Order: sequence, then C-alpha cells, then structure tokens
Amino acid sequence: MRLPYVWAVFVKEWRDLISNRLLLGAVVFPALIFAAIPTGLVAFIQGSELNTDQIGIIRDYIDDFPNIPEKLAIQGFIVSNFMAYFLIIPAMVPMAIATQSVIGEKVGRSLEPQLATPLEVPELLAGKALAAAIPAVSATWVVYVAYGFVNGAIADPRLTTFVFIDVWRVAMVTLVPMICLFSVLMGIVVSSRVSDPRTAQQIGGFVVIPIIVIAVAQFFGGQATFSMEQVLIGDLVVAGLIGAALVVGAWAFDREQILGRLT
Amino acid sequence: MIVVEGLRRDFGQLVAVHDLSFEVADGEIFGLLGPNGAGKTTTVRMLAGLIRPTAGSASVNGHPLGEGSQRIRALTGILTEAPGLHDKLTARQNLAYYGRLYGLTGGALRAAVDRYLGVVGMGEHGDRRVGGFSKGMRQKVAIARALLHEPEVIYLDEPTSGLDPLAAKTVRDFVATLRELGRSIVVCTHNLDEAERLCDRIGIMRGTLLRLDTPAGLRRHGRNATVRVELNGARGPESFLALLARLPAVLGAQAQPEERSLLVELADPPRETPDLVAELVGAGARISGVREEAATLEEVYLDLVGEVGERDAAASVQDGEGRAA
Repeated sequence: MRLPYVWAVFVKEWRDLISNRLLLGAVVFPALIFAAIPTGLVAFIQGSELNTDQIGIIRDYIDDFPNIPEKLAIQGFIVSNFMAYFLIIPAMVPMAIATQSVIGEKVGRSLEPQLATPLEVPELLAGKALAAAIPAVSATWVVYVAYGFVNGAIADPRLTTFVFIDVWRVAMVTLVPMICLFSVLMGIVVSSRVSDPRTAQQIGGFVVIPIIVIAVAQFFGGQATFSMEQVLIGDLVVAGLIGAALVVGAWAFDREQILGRLT
Repeated sequence: MIVVEGLRRDFGQLVAVHDLSFEVADGEIFGLLGPNGAGKTTTVRMLAGLIRPTAGSASVNGHPLGEGSQRIRALTGILTEAPGLHDKLTARQNLAYYGRLYGLTGGALRAAVDRYLGVVGMGEHGDRRVGGFSKGMRQKVAIARALLHEPEVIYLDEPTSGLDPLAAKTVRDFVATLRELGRSIVVCTHNLDEAERLCDRIGIMRGTLLRLDTPAGLRRHGRNATVRVELNGARGPESFLALLARLPAVLGAQAQPEERSLLVELADPPRETPDLVAELVGAGARISGVREEAATLEEVYLDLVGEVGERDAAASVQDGEGRAA
C-alpha cells in the first residue's frame, strides 16, 4: 500500500465531501440529534418539579447512582443510557458517505479512469474509507465531549463525570472507530453491487439494527450503561466482522467485477 | 509498441473478443472501427491493463499483460468512452488528482496541469467546477487527463465526441503531433471520416479483426485501384483500348461509351497515372478529367460489418430453428 496514493484519494474525497452540502448535513445532523434528545430531557427535568410517581421503570436504575439527589440520579441515568446511541453515529454516517462515494462514481463513470491509473484497488478503497471514517469518528468524538460538558452545565457538573467514565473513554477510542470501519466496508460492499444510492443506504441500514437492539436490550436488561467487559466483547465481535467484511470487500470490489458492472 | 497475439476475452457465455492479433508501431495511429458491441472497449481495457484476457497474450512496450499491468497502466494514457470527471472538483483539481495518481508532484504536476489545460483550450476555465461544463468542455478536460503524464501509449475512445468542428480539428492536430513524438496511439471511433483523416492503419472489428489495412487499402477493398479517365473529343473511348492493352502498368481496361470514359486498373495510381495520361494524350485523346475510383470507407465498413452481421443473424435463426425442432 503506497501512502501518497491513499493520500491523493483521501484529499479528493475530502474535497468532494465538503463541497456536497447534503452529504455534510448527513454527517452533522444525526450526531446532533442523538445528543440533543437526552440533553433536552435533562434540561426539561432540571426546570421541572420532580414527581417520583411518574418516573416508572427508571426507578429501578436510580440505585446505580448512589449518594446523589434523586433528580440528579434520574438525569444521570438518562445521560448514561442514551450514550449507547453514540454508537449509531459511526455506523450511520460513514455508510452515507461511503455509499454516495462509490455509487456516485459508478453513476458518473469516474471509476474507470481511476482504475486505469497505477492506483491499486486497496489504495483506492483505503483512501475512500479514511475519507468516510474520519468525519464520522470526529463527529462522534466532538459530540461526545460537548454532550458531557453541556449536560454538566445545564444540570450539575457531576453529570459530566458520568459521561467521561473509563468504559466510554475506551469505547470511544476502540469501539467507535471499529464500528465506523465496519460500516465503511459494508457501505463499499453494498455499493459495489447496486447502482442506486437509496437502495444501498437501505441495505446498509441493517448495520445499524444490531446496535439499536443492543441499546434497547441494555435498557431492558437493567443496565444504565455498558460494562467494560461488554465493550471489550463488542471490540472483539466488531473486529471479527471487519475481517469478514474485508474478505467480502476484496472480492466485491475486484477491478474486473466493477468494470464488468459499468458496461 | 503494442503487440497483440490471439487475444480472447469471454464474459460468461459471451465471447466479446476472439483471435485478435495486430501490432501498433511507435509513432503510429491505429484506428479500431466497429459497431457497438464489437469488442473495441474490451480490447482497450485489456491492453490498458484494466481487465485480464481469457486467452492469448499481448505486450505494451515490452511489458506483458498480467504481471506487468501496473507498469502498463503507468505508461498508458486512456480517454474512456465517458469523460468520468469528478463534478464537484474544478478542472484543475481533477487534473491534479490524476497527475498525482500517475506519480507527478510539486512543480512538475502544476506545470503539466497548466500545460494541458492550455493545450485543450481550457486554461481560462481551470478553476471552475466541471459539474457546470458542457459535454465538449468535459471531453477536453478528459483528453488533458489522458495526456497529462506524457504517456508512451495512448488509447482514445471517441476522442472528438461532443466537440465542435474547430475543437475537433485541434484535437486531431494534437494527436497527429503525438505521432511525431513516437507515441503509439489507438483510436476507437465510429467516425469514419475521422479515422480516415487521422489513422495510419485501420482495423475493422466485430469480435475479431475483419480487415486491417491503410485507409487507402481499405477503400480498394482488396481490388486493384481503378482510375476513371473522362474524354472530351471526337474519338470514342473504345478506340484507346488497344493502346492501353500494350501499357505494362495497366492491369485491365474497360470503355464506357455512354459516359465517354475509360476505366483503367492500375497497381499504384499516384505513381502510374501521369504516365497513363501522357500516353493517352500522345495518342490524341482530349482528357477532361482523371480521378481514382474507390469505394468510400463507409461503403467498405458497411460491406464488411454487414456481411458478418447477416451471417450472425442467419446463424442465430438456424440455431433457433434447430432448438425449436
């Protein structure tokens, strides 16, 4: 793999991305929405009188936040519980970028001239993957940090400490980039087989479903947030999925397969 | 130099190209003519190292297809059927991107981009996004992209498609200068006039090469060249047949009294016509016109491609009847 070639593809993709406002919106809005919902709830609770009769199932989780007022414990639970949805950002955003990147080039017939240069397919894919992954990981990290501080500022500084716990720091550094890479690879695999961005994103949307299932299961399973063991198991599972996606991706994005589908 | 020997490419059950053999010398412009689906693009893709042949072999400047494909791609410039530019980037950014992929950097890259934007007459549009360009402007940028790294071998698929006559002439003239620089150039086109003007040799293909010759050779279509001599005097054309029979350069002659002309077969009309005219004038002929009678390239093309097309159609009907029976 020759880095100058990967860099050339990355720079081109990056220029493409920043000039595509619709796609930029697809990067920024999901991240903001996932952060805005719990933050809005925290702000609402902060400005309201707490009626403990109305908190329902949340009561079961208050013991996870001992030695603090009940209202803050509920806010702590909301802030912690919604963090599972931060894993959806690195799954969703690069999928949108990767599918647009590959299918856009198929539709515009610009893959063939690139494949006719000394550029090798893995270098092309690496450049594209980086260009899709870096905005998604950056958006997740920026929103994560902002989420911690904004909630702390709205309610109580102790909420910030619930966000920046070791489990989530590890998850942000390991699980988020890996989910992102897996999503990019799936986006590329799907895009190499279909020629319509909407179809690709619909198929690719299945990548998000297991993460939503895990987030919901976490809530109903009696956990306010993930444990370190769960994050590390998640790392291993996603690493395995990346390996499988690399094998499938190398086959699906073969130079001849792509050119065969362009004609 | 491109050497192709028995090249074949199958796509599943479909045989796109078979038994294809030809050579393109350094400094030669070689035309590939053929209908849609004749295998021209597949041939170029194989020779450009984009796809592997199913059978046969080929080498480009000594590099064999297959293992040497990356080196072949580095020394090859290709104008694809569709310009395939990146719409959100400017013309300059498009060219700079491809320049980097061909290994150009720094000042050399900037100089090449500026030079070729100028060559195709797009210098003043270099900083505009190509998404807003007309078809002709996009084609010009794509041509600049194919030439940017000074390739030794160049494949041009419909190079003047979408260009106005002046721009088309500029491109043709530029391609002709590349020939003088010793580049091997393959032009795929449906434009017979362009092929005739530009190419040193033309291969008419439909799956394989049906005929390969110079444009003049193709027009004669395997026959001797015929010169029509138009007379304008009292003597009829038949009175000169005995004279013509005695001339060694004349391979055959025929009088056409109603049209007051002679049809004379010669092996090499440009060299032998002046002597023929001199002999006839010496024998008292009053000549009002002399011109070479040859089929147009279009007639030859339609003849060859039509023959194969009819044969294919007949074969498929027979095949269908066989299956029905």
